[in-house]
Amino acid sequence: MVRRILVADDEAPIANAVAMKLRNAGFEVAVALDGQEAYERATAERPDFIVTDLQMPGMSGLELSARLTAELAPGIPTILLTAKGFELEPKDLEGLPIRCVMTKPFSPRELLAAVQDVLGEAVAL
Amino acid sequence: MGAAILLFLGVGVGLHLLLSPLRDLELPAAVKAMTLVLGLALSVMGLIGGYLVARMPKERVQNIAEYIENMVRHGTVGLVLSENQADALGRLGHAVNHYMTFVKDEIEQSSLTAKERQIQIKVLEAEHRHIESVIHAISDGVIVTGAFGDLLLANEAAERIFGFRFETAIRKPIEEVITDKSFLGLLQDMRETGLFVPHRTLEWVQGSGDQARIWRVVLNTVVEGKKRERISGAVAVLHDVTKEKEIAKMKSDFVSNVSHELKTPLASIKAYTEMLLDGEIKEPTQVRECFQTIASETDRMNRLIQNILNLSRLESGLVPVNKTDLAVTEILRDVGDVITPQAAQKNLSMETDLAPVFFRVNGDRDMLYQAILNVLSNAVKYTPNGGKIRVSTYLSDGSVVVEVADTGYGVPQEELQKIFEKFYRSRHSGKTAPGTGLGLALVKHVIEVIHGGKVTVESEVGKGSVFRLSLPAVR
Repeated sequence: MVRRILVADDEAPIANAVAMKLRNAGFEVAVALDGQEAYERATAERPDFIVTDLQMPGMSGLELSARLTAELAPGIPTILLTAKGFELEPKDLEGLPIRCVMTKPFSPRELLAAVQDVLGEAVAL
Repeated sequence: MGAAILLFLGVGVGLHLLLSPLRDLELPAAVKAMTLVLGLALSVMGLIGGYLVARMPKERVQNIAEYIENMVRHGTVGLVLSENQADALGRLGHAVNHYMTFVKDEIEQSSLTAKERQIQIKVLEAEHRHIESVIHAISDGVIVTGAFGDLLLANEAAERIFGFRFETAIRKPIEEVITDKSFLGLLQDMRETGLFVPHRTLEWVQGSGDQARIWRVVLNTVVEGKKRERISGAVAVLHDVTKEKEIAKMKSDFVSNVSHELKTPLASIKAYTEMLLDGEIKEPTQVRECFQTIASETDRMNRLIQNILNLSRLESGLVPVNKTDLAVTEILRDVGDVITPQAAQKNLSMETDLAPVFFRVNGDRDMLYQAILNVLSNAVKYTPNGGKIRVSTYLSDGSVVVEVADTGYGVPQEELQKIFEKFYRSRHSGKTAPGTGLGLALVKHVIEVIHGGKVTVESEVGKGSVFRLSLPAVR
């Protein structure tokens, strides 16, 4: 079964790079360039996974995850990408299905590995 | 008076005795007349003599008495009438003179001593006032409490910090004067542990939220006793560090922001480089696109670093300012030359209304050029294809105003002030505008801080924005 991933980042080059990497690995990827767009596409298409930037105009990555978790419990597994890693505290992630936080600049290789890990777990379950 | 009458009577009786046997004698009339005259003369002399004799000591006494009373009345001390006679009254007068001289010396001496004391008191009072005004002039708050927590001294700064008047609060228990519980807590700690920790510095936050002020409080105990075993009071000095903290936070935020802004293009560069190295990208056109992205992100980083450095140096005053009287219109023409092709690319119509009169301002040509360029660049950037940009200059209230109006996306009311913040980039249709977010920060600094002018903006989302730069005109 082809896994569908939603990638959200307000920086187009980054969103495209992530999308390219994941597509090459066999995933179906949708790209959103801000939080609101990501939210709408997620509720409409119900992806299996989300890779999102933290700081986006309108809705942040955290808010996105929170709203989706509230509406589509148990929520969609998410990896958070951020340039401001040290500002996040464990309590910010509480109750959210955020499996991993990666700081920018990140390695696309490591990102792919992380996605496969999480989805691999889900499959195993 | 009495003596005179007696004398008169005596002489009169004598005369009578003198005259009566003479009457019986057969003396010639001339002799009789002579004895009568003699008798009369005697009685008159006796009368006058008696009167004088009676009068003399009394008059002298009266004179002396009057003189003394006069002195008392006028508050002077001096000699009584000179008494040359050697009689009892004369000796009395002499003694009184002597005493008067003595008294006069004593009074002069006391007077001198009193004057000296007065001067000493005035000097001490002046010193006291001087010390008080020194303490009041200290811009830090100073509060001194006694052994039992009573307020002994507070300067004007302290009055302002806590909102009380020292003249009404002196000697009252400090809890009645200062109501802030957290501060009272600090003083209480001091009283309890002051012998062990006689000197401490801490931060005290007064109020909360936007109104909060942060104070650095230095507390010292005042100790007495041979072994310094008794606390006799405490001194608190409060220094306002609110501004310092704000600045520290701004610096920290700035560093955080810069780091974030630099990491973003770096992330693209790293991602594409890695994928290219891993041979992830198969198609040649895609490969070319990836390299293109890497190249432009690298340029972006460079521009960002340049702009940050420029703005930083500008704000630190490291860039020399060369002000001359120049015509704003000339700068606008130069900027127009650069902007017009960019506007043409987006099919934007550029309208200019540069008044024929050359308005002059005193400014740095390069800086003003950059500021005006930034505003016009923004107009082009934020106006969709086919829109309109209008540039005009006019004189208003002694200032030259450069007005740039566009039919662009506009800025929401709540963001109108934020757009001048560093790194703030307005979003429209969800897309972040290209650029560093530093353009308007530079405009604000150049126009307001370096040239003493003003930058204002009006905007309506969906309709457009109007930016106005005003600078003091030069005649």
